[in-house]
Amino acid sequence: MALFTVKDLSFSYPQQSTPALTAIDLTVEAGGFVVLCGRSGCGKSTLLRHLKTVLTPHGTREGEVLFGDRPLAQVELREQSSRIGFVLQSPDNQIVTDKVWHELAFGLESLGCDTATIRLRVAEMASFFGIQEWYHKDVNELSGGQKQLLNLAAVMVMQPDVLVLDEPTAQLDPIAAAEFLNQLKKINDETGTTIILAEQRLEVVLPLADKVVVLVDGRILAAGDVGAVSANLNANGSAMLKAFPTATRVFLAAENLTGSTRSPAATCPITIREGRNWLKRQLAQQLEQPLTQQLEELLPTAQSQAVALDSPTHIPYSIPVPPTAPIPAHIPAHRESQRDSQIDSPSNANAIVAGAREVWFRYDRKGEDILRGLTLEVRESELFCLLGGNGTGKSTTLGVLAGLRKPYRGKVWIEKHAGSSNPLSAVSSIKPTAARGGLCLLPQDSQTVFTEKTIRDDLLTMFSDPKSEVSLAITDNIAMLLEIDTLLDRHPFDVSAGEQQRAALAKVLLREPQVLLLDEPTKGLDAAFKEQLAAILVKLKSQSVSILMVSHDIEFCAAHADRCAMLFDGAIISQGPRRQFFNNNNFYTTAANRMSRGLIDDIVTAEDILERLSAPTPETQG
Amino acid sequence: MRNLHPAISFGYFAFVILITVVFLHPVMLGISLVSSLLYAIYLNGIKSLRFTLLFLVPMMLLAAIINPLFNHLGNTVLFTVANIQITLESTLYGLATAAMLAAVILWFSCYNKIMTSDKFIYLFGRIIPAISLIISMALRFIPRYIAQIKKISYAQRAIGRDVGSGRIIDRLRSGADVLSIMVTWALENGVDTADSMRSRGYGLKGRSAYSLYQPNSRDKTLAAFSLYLAVLVIAGIALRLVLISYFPLIELNHLSVSALFIYLAFLLLCLFPLLLDGFEELKWRFSRSRI
Repeated sequence: MALFTVKDLSFSYPQQSTPALTAIDLTVEAGGFVVLCGRSGCGKSTLLRHLKTVLTPHGTREGEVLFGDRPLAQVELREQSSRIGFVLQSPDNQIVTDKVWHELAFGLESLGCDTATIRLRVAEMASFFGIQEWYHKDVNELSGGQKQLLNLAAVMVMQPDVLVLDEPTAQLDPIAAAEFLNQLKKINDETGTTIILAEQRLEVVLPLADKVVVLVDGRILAAGDVGAVSANLNANGSAMLKAFPTATRVFLAAENLTGSTRSPAATCPITIREGRNWLKRQLAQQLEQPLTQQLEELLPTAQSQAVALDSPTHIPYSIPVPPTAPIPAHIPAHRESQRDSQIDSPSNANAIVAGAREVWFRYDRKGEDILRGLTLEVRESELFCLLGGNGTGKSTTLGVLAGLRKPYRGKVWIEKHAGSSNPLSAVSSIKPTAARGGLCLLPQDSQTVFTEKTIRDDLLTMFSDPKSEVSLAITDNIAMLLEIDTLLDRHPFDVSAGEQQRAALAKVLLREPQVLLLDEPTKGLDAAFKEQLAAILVKLKSQSVSILMVSHDIEFCAAHADRCAMLFDGAIISQGPRRQFFNNNNFYTTAANRMSRGLIDDIVTAEDILERLSAPTPETQG
Repeated sequence: MRNLHPAISFGYFAFVILITVVFLHPVMLGISLVSSLLYAIYLNGIKSLRFTLLFLVPMMLLAAIINPLFNHLGNTVLFTVANIQITLESTLYGLATAAMLAAVILWFSCYNKIMTSDKFIYLFGRIIPAISLIISMALRFIPRYIAQIKKISYAQRAIGRDVGSGRIIDRLRSGADVLSIMVTWALENGVDTADSMRSRGYGLKGRSAYSLYQPNSRDKTLAAFSLYLAVLVIAGIALRLVLISYFPLIELNHLSVSALFIYLAFLLLCLFPLLLDGFEELKWRFSRSRI
């Protein structure tokens, strides 16, 4: 019997003309693992919130939601509290009490369980999640990943039949996210608890799912198993496919290229392992019968499909072509020369605008060193990505470069004359920056940047004369540049995460930085917002702004960086132009590289694999 | 003492502090002061001795000097300074009050070490469940808000708006900005917290309060023992076996066998935590040395 049945559900928020949900039909079988995917603002949260009465938003509604065979609204709140577990996005906001043990007990206290029952259930959950080591701790001492696991455990103690999770890993780093998602899989496998999960990290999540639901503008675009859904999206040319696992995308794009559907959808690879197996077979086949001839006949189709794979079409404005644009597969002659020029990245020749030399830093006099002889340099108009795990000193590096933290040894410098060609420097009414001339840091949490009631007022605080014509003009100008011009009168907390970040970026750019430091700018953004961010970074580079970003997001850096470096133990372990960097790493590299390692050389993105598959391949190793 | 049931710890401290405050008997005060000092040193190390010498002793002397200057009760005039009669009774009373204050401060420093916030919450959560949740939430959110304020001011410095420098007017203005955005932030994020609470059944009828503490047989034995000592002390005071009155003339009980018995009971009671901890530590060392 289906656990949840959503019948023809439509919903509109008050005073909104467009409905948030339209004619949703969905069944969730007991014991299933359902992944709900879609862009931010597509209605995922709204749909999930309809699965629990206390969280259901106010507005006009049609259709119904059945829990088992009863309408959800008729299920008692007490029963719902324990049987339907809900985990939200922010690890911090969900925690109510100050101690881990108290948080675990919170739900059972609400249900009025006696001490003995609570003791047993809490003990079981703490053991299941491996929480016993931090059972007595203050919640403030936990990391983000631990906090989110605690939130999950605090719901699981109530022994729910179904767990509903709304982007629970958006605020976590990749390692913590993978741990969290594996924990979900364990719950699903070992207790049969139904999982309904909205998620952006499809690369990790789709291998776990047995049903995928794709939501676009409040409607279900496709639903079913991963193979069927991805084939469906592919047939529709949907931009949502861009967020799917690399193996799946390459597989589908290769099918598109050959114009055939030889393989049934069931064999669609999802994981890296499946992708590798598929690639091996593909390469073996290719040795027997090169595809080139077929391809030449299919040239026009091939071209359009290659573009669809990268799908810049869903970015509704024109941008300068980034250096990472897919290299047209059918022009092998140009391909090699372009790649060479990428290895000798153009930014290598550019002047150094800022840097650090053998910097040592610690927070406490007696504490441990966070930075241990860090040396790096930022070149003019480049996007330099600093990758690394948690606690390797990434954010500290930015703090030191921005002059917010003083190193106790070593030197941090910025070239004063650099960036004179910055076209924004026509601006004269900006308050003079105290000594930091042209180096600005955008902190990780955009919300900490705002202080005013509207985005416009907030931007205007950066001027010494906020009411002058010039200030207003500059504000409008920068708002256009960052595509927030329609949001200027909104409260900065009322816009989406991606928009918040752009508003924060606008505020920083009013400083006319020559060097822009970004702390985890892609955290919590969906694939489309990431593309938008990448486009804006390209624009900034074209205006001679140098960008240094620290990130966990390997795929983003692999697609958009000029140079990359890996930070470990407070120093840079390896660095180089993007392509060279990712090819030298074995594990800390892109999915496409891992999928093709040892099979094809020199692969960084999914487009690279495709390009090689479709070209004559003397360099493959089989 | 640390792993004793919170109700016993709380009852113990409440009783000892109450006797010390209410019954200013010189012998009992001495016992209380010395025991509390010893236990404070045991719990907090040598720094509580330094605190006593640097702060408590001067405070005691000050109290002992000031009291007779303002308190003219008592019949035995020692001497007269600038028309102020200094009486023996008020001087001694001042000394006793000073010792009482010092002992209470020391007892409270021990209390703080033993009765951590969660024990306190547990105790009062049993009486009013809502209180324990409110305290627990306050302990969660106050540090969180402070951390967020720090993050905001760091972010403002990062984007070149220094909130901690400049003219006072500017600093006040930017401080007010930060506070106002903090309120918005707290409300905004509070919505999630409220959702999380309601989602886990907050607001249903019949909420219970869970705690980590369950009385065991050791708790019961020790509770019975200390209760016995406490009853002896109370009985001694009630039967006027021990008594003290400062005004108008000092009246003190004689050193009888029964009085000695009560002193001993109070001494045992005051040293009870130290003896307990010391005994268990010895036992632990002994059992370890046999391994």
